[in-house]
Amino acid sequence: MAKPFGELREHLLRAGVAPRHVRRYLNELSDHLADLRAEEERAGRGRANAESAALTRLGTMDDLGKAMIDQRQFQSWSARAPWAIFGLGPLCILAGAWFVALFILWSGWQIFMPGANTPFVGLIDGWAILYFGLGRLLYFGGPIFIGWGMGVVAARQRLNALWPTVGVALIALIAGVAQVHANRPSPGVVGHVSLGFALGTSVQDISTLLFHILVILALAVLPWPWLLWRRAKSLAA
Amino acid sequence: MVGRETNPNFMNGVPELLILRLLAQQEMYGYEIVQAIRSGTDAVIAVGEGVVYPVLHGLERDGALTSRRKKVSGRSRVYYAVTRAGSRRLADLSETWTNLAGAIQKMLTGGQYGEAVR
Repeated sequence: MAKPFGELREHLLRAGVAPRHVRRYLNELSDHLADLRAEEERAGRGRANAESAALTRLGTMDDLGKAMIDQRQFQSWSARAPWAIFGLGPLCILAGAWFVALFILWSGWQIFMPGANTPFVGLIDGWAILYFGLGRLLYFGGPIFIGWGMGVVAARQRLNALWPTVGVALIALIAGVAQVHANRPSPGVVGHVSLGFALGTSVQDISTLLFHILVILALAVLPWPWLLWRRAKSLAA
Repeated sequence: MVGRETNPNFMNGVPELLILRLLAQQEMYGYEIVQAIRSGTDAVIAVGEGVVYPVLHGLERDGALTSRRKKVSGRSRVYYAVTRAGSRRLADLSETWTNLAGAIQKMLTGGQYGEAVR
């Protein structure tokens, strides 16, 4: 891509234009610029003059940016509805991941330890390790992966940190206070698994919860400094 | 098309009309469209050449155009063509602009108001 379009790309992304529309626009502008340059060279201009004339004919970066930004239909959903992308969306994804994780816990309990009163006790081996491991990955990894995803979306679309921070804090809070319960009311009856949220009553409970929340938050935002560094590096280039 | 002042409000809808008119005849890619507008209007209609793409993308999103990638002389280009909905839009826009141009022309030449709009 021609160098001048780097600035235009940043301008468009910061204005909320969806990355796929920005990419397509800049690709076509690059092709158009190449055609204009060739035309100017055929008209007898030197390479540098041809490039300069071609850029002038293409339009100023302000005009090119405004033409795209004015078309509101090309705005990304993160710009149009950040509350949905960084609030509602991650919550739905987390709910889905936890539903699957709880199903794995419940079904693994019935399959691998049908006689046990709870799936949280006893040694497991073989396929059970893999099966329950997948459930644990979804349950514990879900909030963290969602935080990473929000960071990637925010960095890709040059968003300010407000909504991603709100989103990841909300996810960390929910993940920190969530508790899984499993019990079998009486022997021979199918056990059940449930998810609850508890803030705790004692100072020790609350400080433990806060610690959990902070750990999840720290892990969820782990790649953010790297993403910011990459963005700064690409801007400097 | 360089350095010419345009009135964006007055020009509102003109690029769409010209693009749809050109593409109704044959499929074209962006550079071709701009050159055709320039030669077809004797460079009277001034637009920065690059701003044609948001218009094309908008028309495509509205269903008035379709696009396809085609390799020509070793280069991959995006060709645009008018859809059935685009043809209807062209007809509507053409009628509006013909009426408007006729009315303005009539006013400029001092004719009767009633004769202006057909």
